Amino acid sequence: MNALNPRIRVVWVVRSLIGALVLGGAAGGIAVYRSASLTIPVGLTALFVGLGIGHAVLRYRSWQYVVGDDALYLERGVLTQVRTEVPLVRIQHVDSRRSAVERLVGLASTVVYTAGSRGADVTIPGLTPDDASDLRQRLKGLAIDADGEDAV
Amino acid sequence: MKLAPLSVPYRALQKAGRLAISLVFLGSVGTEIGLSRTLVIVGVGGAIALALGYEFVYYQRYQYTFTDDTFDIRSGVLSRREREIPYGRIQNVDISRNVVQRLLGLSAIDIETAGGGSTEAAIRYVTAEAATTIQNEIRNRKRGDDRRGTVNAASTTTDTVAGDDNPTAESDDSEVAATAAAGSAEPDDELLFEISPGELALAGVLSFDPRVPGLLFAVFTGSIPFISPVVPEPDAVATTGLDPTIVLFAMGVVVLVGLVVLSWVVGAVSAVVNYWGFRLTRSETELRYERGLLQRYSGTIPFAKIQTLTITDNPLKRRAGYATLAVETAGYAPGQANDRGSEAAVPIASRDRIKRLAAEIDGCEEGSFDHPPKRIRRRYLARYLLALAGLTGLLYAGSVSVTGLADLPWYLPLAGVVIAPIAAHYKWLHRGYRLGADHFVTRNGVWNRETKRVAYHRLQTVIDSRTIFQRRWRVATVIADTAGSLSLLGNDAAAVDIETDDAIALRDDLRDRLQESLAERRQERAAGSSTQIIEGPADELSAVEEAESVDDDSETAAVNDEELSTLDDDEISAVDDDEISTVDNEGPAAAGKEEPVAIDDDETAATDDDETTAGDNSETQPAENGSTDE
Repeated sequence: MNALNPRIRVVWVVRSLIGALVLGGAAGGIAVYRSASLTIPVGLTALFVGLGIGHAVLRYRSWQYVVGDDALYLERGVLTQVRTEVPLVRIQHVDSRRSAVERLVGLASTVVYTAGSRGADVTIPGLTPDDASDLRQRLKGLAIDADGEDAV
Repeated sequence: MKLAPLSVPYRALQKAGRLAISLVFLGSVGTEIGLSRTLVIVGVGGAIALALGYEFVYYQRYQYTFTDDTFDIRSGVLSRREREIPYGRIQNVDISRNVVQRLLGLSAIDIETAGGGSTEAAIRYVTAEAATTIQNEIRNRKRGDDRRGTVNAASTTTDTVAGDDNPTAESDDSEVAATAAAGSAEPDDELLFEISPGELALAGVLSFDPRVPGLLFAVFTGSIPFISPVVPEPDAVATTGLDPTIVLFAMGVVVLVGLVVLSWVVGAVSAVVNYWGFRLTRSETELRYERGLLQRYSGTIPFAKIQTLTITDNPLKRRAGYATLAVETAGYAPGQANDRGSEAAVPIASRDRIKRLAAEIDGCEEGSFDHPPKRIRRRYLARYLLALAGLTGLLYAGSVSVTGLADLPWYLPLAGVVIAPIAAHYKWLHRGYRLGADHFVTRNGVWNRETKRVAYHRLQTVIDSRTIFQRRWRVATVIADTAGSLSLLGNDAAAVDIETDDAIALRDDLRDRLQESLAERRQERAAGSSTQIIEGPADELSAVEEAESVDDDSETAAVNDEELSTLDDDEISAVDDDEISTVDNEGPAAAGKEEPVAIDDDETAATDDDETTAGDNSETQPAENGSTDE
C-alpha cells in the first residue's frame, strides 16, 4: 500500500483554515455588528482550525492506495471509512490535475473516471507531479492492456 | 437522408412561439414605457419569419446517413457539426410523438449512447415512416454486427481456441447476411408483456405523485399575498366565537387532505397516460417497448446494454400479489426525465409475470438472501426512536415557544414507539444480498422493498464503506456501482450493514467474479473471432488482442472445448444463462477444485493471484503487486 505525500496535510490544513477563517470572519462580523465581545468568534475559529488540523492528520493516516493486478484499490476516510476498488478494465480515462494550493506545495492529484455513477470521480491527491503523471501513464497503460470489454 | 419537410414550419412555430412569448411579455412591459403596439406586432412577425428562414436552412443542412459501421449526422446552420456514431455504441433508439406531431405525421428520434447525461443525437422530426425505418435499420445493422460475431462463433466450434484461419472471408459472408437481414423490414418480435386494462387501472390507483406537494409549496410560497386573504384573520374568527387554533388546525387538515388527493389524482392520471398501451417485445438482441397515450414512446433496449433489473414491491402489492419491474441501461433515460427515470418499467403486474419476465430478460435464478446480523435490529430501533424523540422534541419546543400552538398535540409522534420495533425488524428482514451464479442480488427497504440484480460483468466499482456508527456495530456496507441511469440518484445495489469480515470477503468475491466473467466473455469472443476483428461492435467484440494477460491465457488453456462450444451461443440472449452458469461452476473446477463456486472462490482467487504474481512480476511494479488483499 502506498501512502500519500506527507505535504498533502498542508493542503488540507490550508483548505480547512480558509473555511475556518470565512466562518470566523462571518461570526466576527455579527459580533462587531451587535457590539458583543469577540471571544465567541475567536473561540469558534480556533475550534475549527483545531478540528481541521486534527482531521487532516487523521485523514493522511487513513489514506492508502495501491495499483493491483486487476484493480486500483483505495482506502480512506476518518469518520466514514471507505474502500474503493476500481477494476482496471472499467477505467475510462485518467486525468492529473493541480489546484492552486497544491501547486504551492508542489503536489498534484490523479483523477480516475469510470462509467459508473459513484466511482465516477476517484481522486488520488497528494502525489508529486512526477508521481501523478507516472500513475496516470501506468493506469492508462494497464487500462489499455486490460481492455477488451466495453467499459460499460 | 433528410428530415421531414413539415418539420420546418413545426420547428419554426415552436421556436417563434417561445420568442413571441418573451416579446409579448416585453411588449406588455414596453407599452408602459412607450413602445408602440405596432412595434411589438412587427417584432412577433419578424420573429416568425426569422425562425422560418432559420429552420429552412437547418432543414437544408441536416443530413443523416447509414454508413457501414457508423450512423452519421451532419447538421448546423451557423456552427456546423458532424457526428459519427458507431452502431455498436448505440444504447437505444427512442421514438416519441406527441399529439400535434401525430397529427402532422412527425416523429422525434433520440439516439442514446452510454456516457454523459444527455442524448447523443436528437433528430428533430422525421416522418413517422422514416422514424420506424431508422429504428429498424439501426437495429438490423447492430444485429448484423452481432450476427457477424455469432456466425464466426458457430463456424469455429470445431476448432475453438485454435482460432479461425480466415475470419475475413467469414465476416464478408455474414456481411451479406446482415445486409440481407437489413432488407427485411419487420423482424419477428416475441411479445413479452402487454399491460392489461386491469393492471393499467391498478397502476393508476397505486400511483401517488410525491412531487405535487413540493411543487404546490414552491408555487404558493411565491404567492403568499395571494392566499393570505383566504386564511381567516384571528379577529374575524374571534367574532364567530370559535377558537382560532381549532380553525387553523382544521384548515391545516383540509389542506393536507386536499394535497394528498391532488397528488394521488395527478399520479394516477400521469401513470395512465404514460403507460397506456404498454407493450414489451423482444427480438433476437433487444427489448422493445411502446407506451403512452398523448405522447407515444417507443424504444429499443439491446440486451447487451442492460445494467440492472429492479423489482419493487410494498406490503400492499405483496398482499395482492403484484410487483413492479424496472430495466436500467447505461444511456440517459429519454423522455422520462420527469418520470421514474427508467427505460422500460413495468408499472405493475402480478408477481409471477414479473418474475418470469425478469428471468427472461436477465436469466437470474431465484434464491434466498443472506441477512445482516440480527443485532443490527437494535441499531435500527435506536435510530427510529431517536428520530421520534427528535420530532417530539421539536413539536414540544414549538408548542411552548409559539403561543398559537399551545394546544398542539406534541406527544402524537410517540405513538410511533409501538411501530418502531416492527419497522426495525422488517428493515432487517428485507435487507440482504445473494451471490448468484451470474448476478449479485441485493434487497433493501422497509416499506418499498427493492430487489436489484446486477450481472457480474456489469460491475463498475466496488465500494465498501463503514461510518463511525457502523464501526461500533462492526458492520459495513458494500456498494456495487454500475453504469445504470437510475444509479445517478444513488440507487446502486448495496449490501448494507453486513459483518465487516463478510464485507471484505464480499468485495473480494465481487472483484474476482467480475474478472472471471470478463475472462469468460473474452473467451467466448476469442472462440468466435480471432485476433483481428473486422468490424464487430467495438464494445462486444473488440480487443481480445495482444493484451491477453497471463492469467487469462492460463484459464483459456484450462477450459476445455466442450465448455466453449456451449458458450458459443449468443451470449446476450438471457435464456442461455443456464449454460453459462454451468460453465461458471466448472471454471474453478477446471482449476482443480470440486466444491461449488461460492465456497472455493477465495481459494481460486488465491491461486489466481499466485499465478499472476509469478507471471506478471517482470512487467508490473514488484513492490505493490498482489498486495491488494490486505
